[in-house]
Parts: sequence; C-alpha cells; structure tokens
Amino acid sequence: MGIRKVDIKLCIGCNVCVDVCPLDVIRLDPVSNKAYIKYLRDCQSCFLCEVECPEDAIEVVAVHERRMVTAW
Amino acid sequence: MDYETHEVRDIDVLVIGGGIAATFAAIKAKEAGARRVVQVDKGTVGKTGNSCFAAGVVHVCFPEDDLDDRLLRLTRAQGFLAQQDLIRDHLQESYPILEDMRRYGVRFVMNSDGTYRRMAGRGAYPIVMFYSTQLMDALRQKAQAIGVEQVNRLYVTGLLTRNGEAVGAVGFHQHTGDFYVFKARATVLATGSTYYKGIHPGHKDCTADGFGMAYRIGATLCGGEQNDQPANAMPARVDVGPGMNKWMGEGGVFLNTKGERFMERYSPKLKERSGLPQIIAFFCIEARMGRAPIYMDARHLGPENMERLYQMLPLPQREFESIGVVKDGKFQKQVEFCPTGPTTRPGVVVDRNYASRIARLFAAGEACSPSAVVTGLAAAATSGARAGISAARCAGQSNGIFEDSGLVAELRDQAYKPLAKSGGFEPDHVLLELQETVIPYDILLLRESSRMERALKRVETIRDQDLPMLGAYDLHYLRLCHEIRNLVLTAELQLKAAIQRKETRNILREDYPYTDNVNWLKWIMVRKEGDKQKWWTEDIPIETYPVAPKREVELAYLWRVPRDLGIVSIQDGRVQWEFEK
Repeated sequence: MGIRKVDIKLCIGCNVCVDVCPLDVIRLDPVSNKAYIKYLRDCQSCFLCEVECPEDAIEVVAVHERRMVTAW
Repeated sequence: MDYETHEVRDIDVLVIGGGIAATFAAIKAKEAGARRVVQVDKGTVGKTGNSCFAAGVVHVCFPEDDLDDRLLRLTRAQGFLAQQDLIRDHLQESYPILEDMRRYGVRFVMNSDGTYRRMAGRGAYPIVMFYSTQLMDALRQKAQAIGVEQVNRLYVTGLLTRNGEAVGAVGFHQHTGDFYVFKARATVLATGSTYYKGIHPGHKDCTADGFGMAYRIGATLCGGEQNDQPANAMPARVDVGPGMNKWMGEGGVFLNTKGERFMERYSPKLKERSGLPQIIAFFCIEARMGRAPIYMDARHLGPENMERLYQMLPLPQREFESIGVVKDGKFQKQVEFCPTGPTTRPGVVVDRNYASRIARLFAAGEACSPSAVVTGLAAAATSGARAGISAARCAGQSNGIFEDSGLVAELRDQAYKPLAKSGGFEPDHVLLELQETVIPYDILLLRESSRMERALKRVETIRDQDLPMLGAYDLHYLRLCHEIRNLVLTAELQLKAAIQRKETRNILREDYPYTDNVNWLKWIMVRKEGDKQKWWTEDIPIETYPVAPKREVELAYLWRVPRDLGIVSIQDGRVQWEFEK
C-alpha cells in the first residue's frame, strides 16, 4: 500500500517529506500549505517520509503499491 | 513550452548524481582545488539512489588485512573480468576513505577502545557497520559546508559535447519545469545502475540514466552481461529491504518450499553467507526444479541480533514491523525471497583516473563498467573520490567554456517532446512490458540463447514502437518518460552482450555450461557511431595482472556443484536437468 496517508491535522507544511521523497510522490498544496500524496503509484515504501516527518503525520505500510513483476 | 532557460556557467566540475559516489566526487573535487563544483540530482542529494538505503554495511580493506588475498577474492567474484589495477587502487584506498568519512561526521559502530567493530557479513572478511541514513546525511552536509552547490529535483536529460569533448549537461527542473544548461570544464557521471524498478525498495529511482547519457554522446560502454552481482535477493511480495547481508550475517537462513536449508548443500562452508553469484544461481536452480518459493527464516534470532538489526537497518526493520513480520522485537514469520531484476550493467569504460574515453567525461560508482567498480558502497566511494580529483585536475588544465552552437536548442526540444504528446503511451505501460521481458529469472539469470533472443526481439519492439509514442501528462511523467528510454536502452545492451558471451562465468547459461578461459577473457564493448551500434571485444591484459586463472576450458563452478549433487548432467555441451529425464 506504500504511503497510506498524510494526517493534515498534524501536517505543518514544513516540506521535509517533499524534499526527501526519492520518487517525487508527495507535493505541498499551495493553498492549504499541507502535504498531499500526488503520485501514489510511484511510492516504493522506503519510509523516508515517515521517519523524517517531525510531526509523525505520515503512515507507510510496506506492501507493494502496484502488482510487481518478480523473477518467478 | 514557455519554460525559462537558465545557464549555469563557469563550472569547474559538474557532478551528476546524489549518492555516495557523486557526493565523494564533489567533495574531493572541491578539496583538490576546483573553484566551482555543482552537484545535480533528480531527487535530493543524499536521499536518492542506492546509497541512502545501503544496508548498514561497508566492505573495507583494513591495513591488517591481506590485500593480495582480497584482490584475488574480488577478482574471482568478477569471474576474472576485473580491471585488477583499479580493484587494487580501490582496496588500498578504502581504509583512508573510511577515515575520511569518519572525519566528515559519519558514525560507525566502534569498539570501546575506539577501533572499528568488524562483524561477519557475506564474504570471507568482516564488515564495518554504520547507522543507515546518517551516512549520506553527513556526506551531504560536508559537501555543502565546503561550498559544493547542490541542485535538487533536476533531471539531467543529456550531456553537452563540443568537438567530441564533454562540456556539461542539460536538464529540466521537475517542479518548475525550467530548463537548465550547465557549462562545465569537467563532468562526472555518478548516476548508479538499475534494477528495472523491480522488487528493491529504495531503488526505483536507479534507472540507468548515466548509461543512456554516455551512450548517446559516443562513450564506450562495457559489462552489460557480467558482473560480481548478477542480481540481489530481496523479500519478494512486500516492500522491504535491502538488508540480506545483515540478516544472513546475524544468522538468518534460506529454506526452499520443502523446508530444506538448501544453501548447506550447494555451499557447505559459507552457506547463506556465500557471494551473490552463488546465492542467485542456487536460487534459480531451486526454482527451476520447482522448489520455489524460497523463504528467509530469522525467527530464531535473539535479542542481541535484533538490537543490531534495529541499529543498522532501521528502515527495513520498520518496514517488517508495518506488515507484522517483526513484532515485539522478534521475527514472527518466514519471509518469501527472490532475486531482484538483473543488475549487470553496461557501464562507462574508465581508466585508473576514472576518465571515460570521451575527453572531460569521468564516471564513478555503478555508472562505471563492472570490471572497474565492484558493487557496494566502499567502491562507489573510492571511485567517486578518484573521479573527483581527476576531474578537478582536468578542469584546472582547461581554459574556455564552450559557446552554444544550436545544440542546446535541439536538446531542449528533445527534453520536452513527450509533453506535447498528451495522448501517447504512459511510461508505466512501457515499463511493465519491459519488466515482463527482462525480470523473469530464466532470461538473464538462468540464460539460454533462444530465450534471450526472444526477449531481445521484444525489447527492440518496445524501442521502435512504444518509445516514439511516449506521452507525459506533466513534469513528473516527463521524468518517467526519460527514465524508461534509458531502461530500454540498457536492456537492449544487456541482452546483446549476454547473447554474445558464449560461456558460463558468474551467471548460469544452459547452452554454454563451460567457463572458457581460452577464448573469453575478454570485455564486450559497445559504442554508438552515428546511427549505428558498434560492438567489439578487447582482450583483458591478464598477463600483466597479479591474478590469472588457468587458460583452459572447464565446467563452470556454478554447474559443477549441481552436477556433483546429481541435479544436472552435461550432454552434447548443454545442461540436461535430471528431473526432466
């Protein structure tokens, strides 16, 4: 499931999650100044956003966001 | 497109990439006297590629280690295709680089007397451990502190050349869309390798961008078919990893579907701590015999093991917790494992200064051919350091910065082209086709001519029919379009090289089970010449190297083991599976 949610009640719009995401999944909404999940399918469940969020506003679950092609 | 164009001029050393090789190149270029060093990354420096997810382990040759023995082992791991002079440089420089990292603020696991604590990992020599993402955070900050300019979220689409020399790069910013032209006296490519966005959390931005960039300007590439790590092994159905080195080092075991600890049979001495060519080959043999899925069992690990895992692998352990595999500080379930996508890489051919065969272009880390740089953090760091110093020297000896002659306008048009095709193919659609072609284990990990030929045909179809149709909804998708172009090229070069190498060296090949040290101590090279692809081989100067195999043709070790176990026999020069008889 990858990144499940950004809790907008907790989000302070600090942009850390946007900066650390290697896959450009998260963006900051210019109107509300809160982070939101823009490109969910590209999430790789790396947890960088979850561990670096200063407000514990992000939850990630390590399940593939899409069906994976595997070696077998 | 009305995006602005920005020129960044007067750069001494331009470094492309944000991992450990790139950051070391930038730091060392600056320390070597380069005035303006610019580091560009498509993500954020230090939070990108392999390095920031490296599994807490670094392989360093300590002064008290036997350097000759380590050289022998690394050379053997590469099937004797190594550039042994570069491997020796790497081993000699790995300890000073470790000390550099400590000076830069990287924290390692230390003994109470201030020495490095070395622990068992995969391989014969103990490893040094560090604290996960802290390593790249410290290096990024060090680079910033000494004046390296870092540009994040900038996707480099191509290298600039003039009179056959590399003179910088161009790309677009993924948030603003603006176009950037970097004019540089020397350029270092440190863009990593690829796993085709397969199972490998934290690596889906490794998309072979450097191979594509270097190839398009005529650089010589090599090694698409063979390296010291044919693939990695990862949890198969969940997004967890990497960490096999540590899980196995702490005592995890692999079980096949019958519950047998099969690595005991194949590799009685090192078992799960064998090298990756062995682990991957024996995984594939088990799968071929219908004994997959394969599971990692770590339920027996005690509190001390788990404490170390939490220290060194906080992200993967957190990932395991999020799906209930680890609970109350203990592994509760077995975890299915399988090989990642193939990781041999058609990297940039470099010399001892990490200079490519294009003037002013250098490469470091996994952007280099596998014969030059072994897999892993330490070699990425030592190669980055050398490339940075060489690039600074090159910049110091050069005067001018090129003036544009229309090339930039052409590259700009190409960069934005998919945006104009809003009804085109989604890059994800093309990625899926490519993954289905190259990731199945019986294509590039358990090889055979007709299967590879079929895969190559499919890749060529994707190249000729799908790529021209790519369309991007926005700048995020524009990046994906460029990434998939580089991935398709990499798959093509990988398959063509693999078909040419008619032997089994580090990777199983059913129709050529012998290791041919008479005819195949060669590198397979490729270069773009105009619209054509030029392939040739170069002899490895094995007589000038300290380590050489016997010049004979013999059944490959990876086939000898299953033959001795009665799993296969060799008939008419081909592998015959006993269970199929």
